[in-house]
Amino acid sequence: MPDLRLQGLTKRFGSVLAVSDLSFTVGPGVVTGFLGPNGAGKTTTLRMLLGLVSPDSGTALLNGVPYRDLPNQTRAVGAVLEASGFHPGRSARKHLLAIATASGIDRTRVDEVLAMVGLSEVANARVGGYSMGMRQRLELARAVLGDPEILILDEPANGLDPQGIAWIRQFLRSFASLGRVVLVSSHLLAEAAQTVDEVVILARGHLVGKGRLSEMLDRQAATVRIRTPEHEQARLLAALRDAGFAPGCVNMNDATTVTVQGASPEAVAPVITANGILVYEMTSGGGSLEGLFFEMTEGAGLGDMVPGYSPGAVPGYVRGGER
Amino acid sequence: MSRLVRAELVKLRTVWSTWVILIIAVAFTLPGGLLVGFAPHNNGIRHLIFPTEGTRAWFDLVLSTMDVVLDLALILGILMVTGEYRHKTVTPTFLYEPRRGRVAAAKLFAAAGAAVAVAVAGGVAGLLLGFGLVASGHGNIAEMLGAFGHVFPGVLFATVLFGVYGLGLGAIMKNQVAALVTGLGASAVIEPLVASTVPAVGRWLPGEAAQALESVTAHAIKGGHGGGFLTGITGLKLVTWWEGALALLIYGLVFVIAGSLTTLRSDVT
Ligand SMILES: Nc1ncnc2c1ncn2[C@@H]1O[C@H](COP(=O)(O)OP(=O)(O)OP(=O)(O)O)[C@@H](O)[C@H]1O
Ligand SMILES: [Mg+2]
Repeated sequence: MPDLRLQGLTKRFGSVLAVSDLSFTVGPGVVTGFLGPNGAGKTTTLRMLLGLVSPDSGTALLNGVPYRDLPNQTRAVGAVLEASGFHPGRSARKHLLAIATASGIDRTRVDEVLAMVGLSEVANARVGGYSMGMRQRLELARAVLGDPEILILDEPANGLDPQGIAWIRQFLRSFASLGRVVLVSSHLLAEAAQTVDEVVILARGHLVGKGRLSEMLDRQAATVRIRTPEHEQARLLAALRDAGFAPGCVNMNDATTVTVQGASPEAVAPVITANGILVYEMTSGGGSLEGLFFEMTEGAGLGDMVPGYSPGAVPGYVRGGER
Repeated sequence: MSRLVRAELVKLRTVWSTWVILIIAVAFTLPGGLLVGFAPHNNGIRHLIFPTEGTRAWFDLVLSTMDVVLDLALILGILMVTGEYRHKTVTPTFLYEPRRGRVAAAKLFAAAGAAVAVAVAGGVAGLLLGFGLVASGHGNIAEMLGAFGHVFPGVLFATVLFGVYGLGLGAIMKNQVAALVTGLGASAVIEPLVASTVPAVGRWLPGEAAQALESVTAHAIKGGHGGGFLTGITGLKLVTWWEGALALLIYGLVFVIAGSLTTLRSDVT
């Protein structure tokens, strides 16, 4: 059975700790999502798995061995990477032919994978004239050239149109259903939620969550948010605590919102009516991957890692200075 | 390993720069030879004892213009490494072969092979030119073929070593523009300068070592020691041909190995 094992993987770029003591395993038969905010260390981790970046410490094993010790890398592992390139003057077919030659793969497979990703018609055209989505498809064709057992993808949906994204979802699912390993990083949480079975969540280079997505969402769904007028907030907090909700789980989110963790709307609503508290809005934690993601990676943006960088510290557009 | 070498040859075959280099090898040698053969007073070498038209020495001089293939092989070698970094194809390359030393070795063999092709292109152009000259009454075929037999083997050998030297330059510099400027700048400006000021050092530099190798063949021109017409200009006392070959081989191998141990080992992000 193919698998991936990361053990204590650590990588520092100068003063930036990109990946810190990261350990997890990825098994076959499911699509595993690798999620985290910008700069979390996803790309660095995937490149360490593939021997492109050397870790400061720790090991990454694919089918039990480091990437460089696999008998035939192209046949064992396929990778779609962001900053991977093409010679603009070379055609897609020739690009793949060079790799097939190096890996001892029959050239008929080149046309097979080009057809699989829908590039047959432009296979002999210079890659320099390809659109971003076409390049991404070519990158995917390259990844599956050796009919690998393990697929590692960094933001594969980048540059794809909605049909392309739906297509890749199907593609990853059918690949995993053959009992193979799929590890896919993504920014598109809504998309990931539809595609992945397991998630590994990374923030600031640290593992912050891992498990079956459905189970994690169930747990996360148990958060209720209540919006009230400001003057009702104190009463609401007291009423909830009196009703037996653990004080640690009942919190003031901001001046007008109270959150109750580990509760359902069905349990919270009677307390509100019994006390005659005015409420504008009540939502339950949604069970969305987005909610889960924000909860787990809260305050873990680049700002903590790179001094002076704080994405979205003030949400919204900032106008240029006054003249 | 043979697969890796073949993959490198596929890469070379499928980019236009390789073909442009082969075309230049032909396109430069033909008119270059005519210029040197018939217009000596316009090309800055008038102080040479200019050989009589149609003699072996004259054919040596005319055919030695094919040594442009050295610089072309140098460029090709540089492109083979720096092109991968420039276009980021180094990622797929190191994915199919993560043992980077093996990639470097495969490139070394492929560069040598490609350099042979470049030298042969120059050689074929030289032969065509030679036959053309004979056919139009400028000397006889025996003198021409004799001169070709002099000039070509040295050029071929030096070109292969220059291809490897270029590969090594690319491997230690990684940046295409920097490597091209360094490689061509060295052979066009820095080396001649060093050669004329500190000949003891200068004659061991790549371009001068290559001339030593070429001039095994071109003895006739100045008589005694000395080689192609460039040597005539600088008046540099060259090392022997085998010393030149050894020096070039060492440059190439040391650069390729140094590159493999340093630049090529760095993270590909
Ligand atoms: N070559 C490099 N040199 C210096 N720092 C780097 C390098 N590569 C990555 N980093 C730093 O390491 C950290 C992790 O980067 P990485 O690209 O792995 O994040 P990511 O999770 O892939 O982000 P994104 O979602 O934006 O793609 C970042 O702070 C980044 O600036
Ligand atoms: Mg990334």
